[in-house]
Amino acid sequence: MAILTKSNNKTPLGIYIHVPFCRSKCQYCDFYSLSSKDDKLMDGYLNAICAHIKEAGALAPAYKVDTVYFGGGTPSFFGAEGMATILTYIRRSFDVDNNAEITFEANPDSVTDKLLKRLRAEGFNRVSLGIQTDDDEVLRKLGRPHTFANAVTAYHRIRKAGFRNVSVDLMYGLPGQTLRAWRETLEHVLTLNPEHISCYGLKVEEGTPLYEYRDYAKLPDDDAQADMYLAAIEMLKAYGYRQYEISNFARKGLYSKHNMKYWTGGEYLGFGPSASSDFAGKRFTLCRSVQEYISGIKNQDQIIDEVQEIPLRERAGEYLMLRLRTFNGINTEDYERNFLLPFAPLEDILEKNRDFGYAVRTEDGRWHLTPKGFLLSNTIISDLLLAQDKSAPLKRL
Amino acid sequence: MTELSHIRNFSIIAHIDHGKSTLADRLLEECNAVDNRGQETQILDSMDLEKERGITIKATAATLRYQADDGEIYDLNLIDTPGHVDFNYEVSRSLAACEGAVLVVDASQGVEAQTLANTFLATDAGLEVLPVVNKIDLPSARPAEVKAEIEDIICIPAEDAPEISAKNGINIRSVLEMIVKGVPAPEGDRNAPLQALIFDSQYDSYRGVIVYTRIKQGTVRPGMDIKMMATGATYKVVEVGYMSPKGLQPKDALGAGEVGYITASIKTVSDTQVGDTITSIENPAAEPLPGYRPVQPMVYSGVYPADGAKYQDMRDALEKLKLNDASFVYEPESSIALGFGFRCGFLGLLHMEIIQERLEREYNLDLITTAPNVVYRITKNDGETIMVDNPLDYPDPMEIQLAEEPYVKVNLMAPQEYVGNIMDLATSRRGEFKDMVYLDANRVELHYDMPLNEIIYDFFDALKSRTRGYGSLDYELIGYRPSKLVKLDILLNGDVVDALSFILFAENAYPRARKICEKLKDNIPRAQFEIPIQAAIGGKIIARETIKAVRKDVLAKCYGGDITRKKKLLEKQKEGKKRMRTFGTVSVPSEAFMAVLKLDED
Repeated sequence: MAILTKSNNKTPLGIYIHVPFCRSKCQYCDFYSLSSKDDKLMDGYLNAICAHIKEAGALAPAYKVDTVYFGGGTPSFFGAEGMATILTYIRRSFDVDNNAEITFEANPDSVTDKLLKRLRAEGFNRVSLGIQTDDDEVLRKLGRPHTFANAVTAYHRIRKAGFRNVSVDLMYGLPGQTLRAWRETLEHVLTLNPEHISCYGLKVEEGTPLYEYRDYAKLPDDDAQADMYLAAIEMLKAYGYRQYEISNFARKGLYSKHNMKYWTGGEYLGFGPSASSDFAGKRFTLCRSVQEYISGIKNQDQIIDEVQEIPLRERAGEYLMLRLRTFNGINTEDYERNFLLPFAPLEDILEKNRDFGYAVRTEDGRWHLTPKGFLLSNTIISDLLLAQDKSAPLKRL
Repeated sequence: MTELSHIRNFSIIAHIDHGKSTLADRLLEECNAVDNRGQETQILDSMDLEKERGITIKATAATLRYQADDGEIYDLNLIDTPGHVDFNYEVSRSLAACEGAVLVVDASQGVEAQTLANTFLATDAGLEVLPVVNKIDLPSARPAEVKAEIEDIICIPAEDAPEISAKNGINIRSVLEMIVKGVPAPEGDRNAPLQALIFDSQYDSYRGVIVYTRIKQGTVRPGMDIKMMATGATYKVVEVGYMSPKGLQPKDALGAGEVGYITASIKTVSDTQVGDTITSIENPAAEPLPGYRPVQPMVYSGVYPADGAKYQDMRDALEKLKLNDASFVYEPESSIALGFGFRCGFLGLLHMEIIQERLEREYNLDLITTAPNVVYRITKNDGETIMVDNPLDYPDPMEIQLAEEPYVKVNLMAPQEYVGNIMDLATSRRGEFKDMVYLDANRVELHYDMPLNEIIYDFFDALKSRTRGYGSLDYELIGYRPSKLVKLDILLNGDVVDALSFILFAENAYPRARKICEKLKDNIPRAQFEIPIQAAIGGKIIARETIKAVRKDVLAKCYGGDITRKKKLLEKQKEGKKRMRTFGTVSVPSEAFMAVLKLDED
């Protein structure tokens, strides 16, 4: 299919690289990652993922890669050499756009000038730095191997290395955290002036160490978390950050292009253990264990855990669930045209929510949730899904 | 036919969990009536529900062929009985089919409430009661003490009671020998006009109704024209026989003293009411057997499919259940809040729960049930008298000249140390004390007249908890008495939810209204907005609670790998909403309806 290689009509594609290695495991984390430095395993992983990328690239000539995202785990802990190799394989195997957004996640403890310099030179242009909080005591309790001072240093190194698009991850609802402490965290971080900030409410996931002692962790309750969330939105707005998704804020339109794909139904391919893809109408997840992944690639065995062909009706549900996470929201034309379902039953529910100040209809006819509505998005979306279930397909457009 | 001298008709009575069903299994096994291999436990309790709850709901019977130590072969007819006050009448009919009862007492627990209640039922029916001490292989067994207890409290000789373990098959033969020696042989004249007591019946889609019967007098044969003396229904007998655990075994005839079944192409169980007497048309008996009582539902409630689309499925299911249960009635009704459903009549609350559970399990229906109520008699100003079994039909108070509610005569039995507790309970339920009788040095029987309405909710449970399980209860309807009644309405977010309305005694209205509001508050999920819950009589609000608005219900993170998982989460939340009914803007889960039914639990 070489004829198509230089075509401009290619479908955009995101690539996600899961790097399942960390210096240590955080108490709240339920992502797949290993917390020991095992050089042999890391080499095996590197070889496997590169082979996998090469193999998959041959199947996607009609796509142009416009975002690459290295997440984890801790890509910065895995090291610059490995990441550079993987990116090289991606460039060799896929058609990567010159202006592609290429992000890697980093933790303050594994960010060195050398690493940053190397990755910047390789073409990485966005960094997502996990700071989480300015409270060293809480960082220690959560099992994070750095202090806030380390984080500030790391941030300045990133800037010095020439990265002009930096995102910072923060968490609220942390053990013992007060509204006032959270505001202070935000103020401290805002002095760094990042382009992008993600604020996540701590969620206690089953199977994590935190889950075991959650009752003694002095976690703020739902109402307190709600107050923190609303406070963050207000503060960030005052500092010029636009909330473009439930937990994400950006300046100057510098939202995460890669993450937006998840919420707007874009296609993406995931590589590495436990990575997920939404590609050519199918959603699939790779096996969770790195050993299984390595041997699967080596022996040409099964590495996919679960494949789902998503029918249109389900896509319609995903549209509601994902789009309503964003400030773009949903609209009649998109919905009816793409899914052949009536928008009116949804509009009834949205109007009710508007009366409570949870939803807004924009002048150009889009519906999106308000900050208070975001807080209740599960309730609202499940109401919409129920109404959607009951509606019969449109007979004509 | 088996010689009268070689027949023994008996039932097994016990407190729950003392091993009644296990013993029945062992007896059947010992007589080789059951194949040991691949055997499920508890053969007689055939419904799943019975096995699970450990109670017998429907009576069943089996004939055991036993070769005794004297070398003779006996027919031992085991008739299993239900064990709850709702089914007291059914129990009495099953016992009337027997001459003796094996009383199972747990060797470590000793005599308990049901042991007593059931023993009294059996002795009242003139049965020989033969005690057995079970579970003697448990380390905590104290057979000698338990035997003394049986003699002291129940006043029956227990010195020679077999000490057995039904579970491990120890001394089972001694129970069979005891039955042969201790249960009197039946009496009766096989040439007399037929009198056959119906103690149960069951619908079979091939044969029609199978009537389980004890022949008291005369003989019944295939081809005979028979008549049910109370219902007047007539049929021609197709088959008679006895019940083996392997199935029905046909015989040429069933004669006086025998227990067996009759089929006669009977289409509906309501023709074969428990307690009715079957006689021959050609040579009829002069009188029916004593003790028959037509079934009369005591408690009514609205039963609705949680998913409105399942109405037709529910109708089919009710029809099928009715085939097997003459004591249950239903008719269609509709509610603004719940849509289309059925008004159902039950013998009591347990009966109601059983029917509901069977509908949910065997027919895979989700149900919403409204508060149970009794049948009120209302005389209007224009002189018309109406029977109200549904709060929706309750007339405007201005139109009512006289409101009456059904009363029952209640017999309460317990060891005397609980008399104070029982009196407090009965008084708080508007009981009118009649008298108190000492049954022996320790046991007391109290008599009350009480509104039936006070008993149907949770009286039995309350009695059990106030007497540490030793109290037992029996009641019968004695008629209607004038009462001060009101209809209580529940409003959610300002709208009346008709399905939550109910009729009650005026003076109970305030505390009950408060409790209902509290229960609803606990059971209705917080919504995006504040929900007031109010209870009102007429237009007057008498209780109020508020459900605070929920503020946070969000998935903070949702990226590539999470989408499938989070989708499932939202799907689950959506499915949960399907089980809720929306009233105006408020969603109410079916659990909330159930919760208001159990107000006095805490």
